[in-house]
Amino acid sequence: MLPATGKVKVLLRIALRNLAAGRARTAIIGTILLVGTLLVVVGSSLVESVDRGMRSSIQGSLGGQLQVYDARSKDELALYGGMGREPLLEPIVDFSRVKAELEKVPNVKRVIPMGIDQALVATGNQIDVALERLRADVRRLEAGEDDPELRRRYQAHQAHVRRMVTLLRDDLRSARALADDELLRERKRDGDDLARAASDDFWAGFERDRLAGLEFLENRIAPQGMEGGMTYVRYVGTDLDAFMEAFDRAHVVEGERVPSGHRGILLGKWYAEEYLKIKNARRLDKIKDARDFQRRRIANDEELRRWVKENTNQLSEIQMQLDPLQAEEAAARLRRGLGSEERDLSRLLVALFSTTDADFEKKYRLFYDELAPLLQLYKIRIGDTITIKAPSRSGYYSSVNVKVYGFVEFRGLEKSRLAGVMSLLDLMTWRDLYGYLTKEKAEEVRALRDQVGARQVPRESAEADLFGGGGPAVETQRAGRIDEAALLAGIARPARTQDLAAQTYSQEEIDRGVALNAALILRDPSRIGATIQDVERASRRAGLGLKVVDWQKASGLVGQSVTMFRIVLYTAVLIIFAVALVIINNAMVMATLQRVREIGTMRAIGAQRRFVTAMLLVETAAVSLLFGLLGAVLGAAALWAVRAWGGIPATNDQLYFFFSGPALLPALGTTGVAVSLGLVLVVSMLSGFYPAIIAMKVTPVEAMAADD
Amino acid sequence: MSAPIVSVENVVRTYRLGKSEVQALRGVSLEIHPGEFLAVAGPSGSGKTTLLNLVGCVDTPTSGVVRVDGRDTSALSERALTDLRLRRIGFIFQSFNLVAVLSVFQNVEFPLLLQGEATRKEREQRVLALLDAVGLREHARHRPSELSGGQRQRVAVARALVGRPRLVLADEPTANLDSTTGATIIDLMRDLNRRDGTTFLFSTHDQKVMSHAHAVVRIADGQLQARETLNPAA
Repeated sequence: MLPATGKVKVLLRIALRNLAAGRARTAIIGTILLVGTLLVVVGSSLVESVDRGMRSSIQGSLGGQLQVYDARSKDELALYGGMGREPLLEPIVDFSRVKAELEKVPNVKRVIPMGIDQALVATGNQIDVALERLRADVRRLEAGEDDPELRRRYQAHQAHVRRMVTLLRDDLRSARALADDELLRERKRDGDDLARAASDDFWAGFERDRLAGLEFLENRIAPQGMEGGMTYVRYVGTDLDAFMEAFDRAHVVEGERVPSGHRGILLGKWYAEEYLKIKNARRLDKIKDARDFQRRRIANDEELRRWVKENTNQLSEIQMQLDPLQAEEAAARLRRGLGSEERDLSRLLVALFSTTDADFEKKYRLFYDELAPLLQLYKIRIGDTITIKAPSRSGYYSSVNVKVYGFVEFRGLEKSRLAGVMSLLDLMTWRDLYGYLTKEKAEEVRALRDQVGARQVPRESAEADLFGGGGPAVETQRAGRIDEAALLAGIARPARTQDLAAQTYSQEEIDRGVALNAALILRDPSRIGATIQDVERASRRAGLGLKVVDWQKASGLVGQSVTMFRIVLYTAVLIIFAVALVIINNAMVMATLQRVREIGTMRAIGAQRRFVTAMLLVETAAVSLLFGLLGAVLGAAALWAVRAWGGIPATNDQLYFFFSGPALLPALGTTGVAVSLGLVLVVSMLSGFYPAIIAMKVTPVEAMAADD
Repeated sequence: MSAPIVSVENVVRTYRLGKSEVQALRGVSLEIHPGEFLAVAGPSGSGKTTLLNLVGCVDTPTSGVVRVDGRDTSALSERALTDLRLRRIGFIFQSFNLVAVLSVFQNVEFPLLLQGEATRKEREQRVLALLDAVGLREHARHRPSELSGGQRQRVAVARALVGRPRLVLADEPTANLDSTTGATIIDLMRDLNRRDGTTFLFSTHDQKVMSHAHAVVRIADGQLQARETLNPAA
C-alpha cells in the first residue's frame, strides 16, 4: 500500500504546486468559487431561516399545519388575503361534522373553525363623546341638582363642544375654498348648521332649553364629525377558546379573553396601534422604534423628521379630546415637564412634539406619563361595544354590535402587519355578519327554498338550466326573494344587542354551523405530507368534499414568497456556477495546453493515461475544494458575525413576519453547506473534464519536440 | 552474443502530411545488444527521431517488426506499451523535460513512484545514489529552474536510470548544451554504461559527441548505412 500512497501524494503535490505556480489563474478561479459557495451557504441559510421563521409565524398565528376548505370554492384559500380582496370560499355548512371526522385522523390534534373577512367598523366620534359628557351634566341639572363643581364641569364641557363646533366650521370653510359648486350646495345646510351652533345666540338659547339644544347638536352637528370615523377591520371568526389554546402565540395583551361561549371581539394590538391610536402617539412610537431598533436618528433621517413635523402640525386630534378643564391640566403638566412659562396649550404641544435626538426620550416619557392619562389613546376602548358592518353573501350589509374585550397579540409577531392586523371574533357573531346562521337556520333556508320549488342551480350548468332547459327563470327569481327574507331575518337580530351580548353558547352550538375553513393542528408537525393524505382520505370517506392544503399553500402569496426567494437565490447560484464552470474550464484548458510537453514527458517515462487525467482532475478538485471550503467557512463566519451583531433587523412589518420576530438570526444550514460543496465538486469535475481529455490525448511523442 | 534487447526488422514508418505520405523510415533493420553504447547519426530529417520513437515504444511501425525486450511492440496495447516504457526504458530528452514544479529529488523519484514498487526508504537510497553519481546530491532540494542546462540534463540522466531500465534512449541529449557541457554529459552516460552495463542509444548530429560512442549507425533518407565500430565495448 505504501507505494500507492506515494503515487497519490505525487499527484497531489504536482496539482497543488501547479496551483501555486499559476497564482493569477488560481486566484481568479478561487475567487469565483469562493463567492459562489459563500452565496450558497449564506443565501440558503438565510432562506432556510426565513422559511423557519415563516413556518413558525404562519403555523403559530393562524395557519396551523394544515387547512381544509370546501373543494368547490372558486378561489384558493389565502389566510393573509388574496389579490386585493378576500378569496371567495364555499362555506362548510356544518362544521361539527368536519370536526368529528377529522379529529379521528390519528395525527390530527385539533380542528379550529375559521372564517376570515373584512368589514367596516365605526371607530366612535369625539363629538359624540363630548356630547355624552354634556348630556350627563344637563341631565343632572334638569333633575334639579346644582353645586359649584357640577356647574364648573358643565361650563367646561359646554366650552369643549363649542370649540369642536368652531374647529369643524373652520375645517368646512377651508374645504370650501377648494371645493366645487356641487359640493358647496350639498354642504350648504351643514355649513348653516355649524354657523348656528357656533353663534353666541345659540349658546344663549342653550341655557333656556338645554335638551332642545342638545338634540340639535346630536342630530345636526355630531354626524358631521363622523368623517374618518369608519375604518376597516380584518377578523377571523373562530371558536375563541379553541383558537387561543391551539395558537399559543396568541395572547391578550390588554383587557381579557372573551368569556367562554360569549360573543365578543379581541382586536389585533397592531391594528389598534396603527388604526385606532391617536396619530401623534403612534408617530412617537414609530420614532422610538426607529431610534431603538434601527439605530436611525432624527437629525439625519428624512422620514423621522417628517413625523416630527407632522406631530407639531397636527394637534387637533389631541385638542379636540380635551375639555377646558383637561386642557388646563394638560397645560400645567406640560409647563412643569418642559420647564416652560408658556400659557397656550397649542404652543406647549408644539414644544412637546418638536423633538430632537437629544430630548426625544424625555419628551416621549413626558407624553406617556403626563399627557396620555388625560387622553383616550385609542378610538375604541376596551369595554366599548362596536358596530361592525359587513356585506353578507347576498350583498346585503349585515351589521352587528359586539363588545371589545381586549387587544390580542401574537408573540414574536408584535410588529407584523400580516399577523397583527387580524382581530379575533367569536364564531356566532361572525356567522351573523357572514349572512348564514347556524346549521338549523341554513337548513331552514333550504327547506323554505324547497317548499317554493326553488332549487340550487349548479354553476356548471347554470346557463342551460336557466335559459335552455326546463327550469323557468321565474323560479330562480322567487328563490332570490326567499333568500332575501331569510337574510333580513338575520339582519333583524342585532336589534337585540343586549340580549345577544349576555347570551352564552354551548360548544355544540358553536360547532354546529357554518365555517369557511378550518385549521388542523397536528400532534407531529413534521409529518405534514403523510397527514394531508390521511385527511383527504377521511374527507372522501365521510363525503365532506374538503380540499386539504398545507400551511404554506394556505397562506397564499405570503407563503409563496419563500419559494420566490429560493428561486431567485438558486437562479443566481446557477448563473454563478455556470460562469464558474466556463471560466474554470477555460483556464484549465489553457493550463493543460501550456503543459503539453510536461504531460508528454510523463507519458513517455511511463505514466498511464489515467495518471495524467487524474492529475488534471485532482488539480481542479483541489482548487475547488480549497476555495469552496474557504467560501463555506467564510459564509459560516459571516452568519456567525450577523448573529453576534444581533441578527438582521426587521426594518419593516413584512420582514417582521418573515423573520418571525424583530430580527433574523440566521442559522448555518447544513443543507446549504452540503449543497454548496456538492455543487463545487460537480462544477470542478465538469470543468476539469475537457482539460483531462486533452491531457489524455497528449502522446509521448510530444515530449520529443524540441524547444520552440 | 546474448539476445538483443532491441531488434528492428525491415521497418517502414510512413506519416501522413496532409494529402501526401512521407516515408520517414524505408526498411530499417537494427539489433541492439545489452551493454552497448550506440549512437545514431544523421542530418535532421533523416529519420533519427522516428527510429528512436519506435525503439522507445512511443510509436509503432507501419510495417516490419520492432521487438523490445523480446516483445513485438505492434502487438501491445497502449497500456502495455506504457508499462514497457516504465519498466524497461529510460528517456533523456533534448530539452531536459523536467517537471517544473518538482524538486530535483522528486523529479528523479518520479518514475519510481509510477512503478509503485519501491518503499520510501528504497526510493530515497536509489535517488540519492544516482544524484551522487551525477554529482548533484547537494542540489536535491532545488527546483529545475534554479539549475544550469548541464545540471538539468544530469538530473534527466539520473531520472532515466532510476528505474533500472535495460535501455536508455537519448534523443539529441547535447543539442541544447554547449559543446563542453555536452561532452561531460556524454562522458557521464558512458561512465554509467560502463559501471552498470546499462545499454544506451542516443542520436546526434555532432561529430564530437559521436566520437564518444562505441559504435555509430548512420542514417540518411530513412535508411541505415553500415554500423561503424569506434571504441569497442569495455
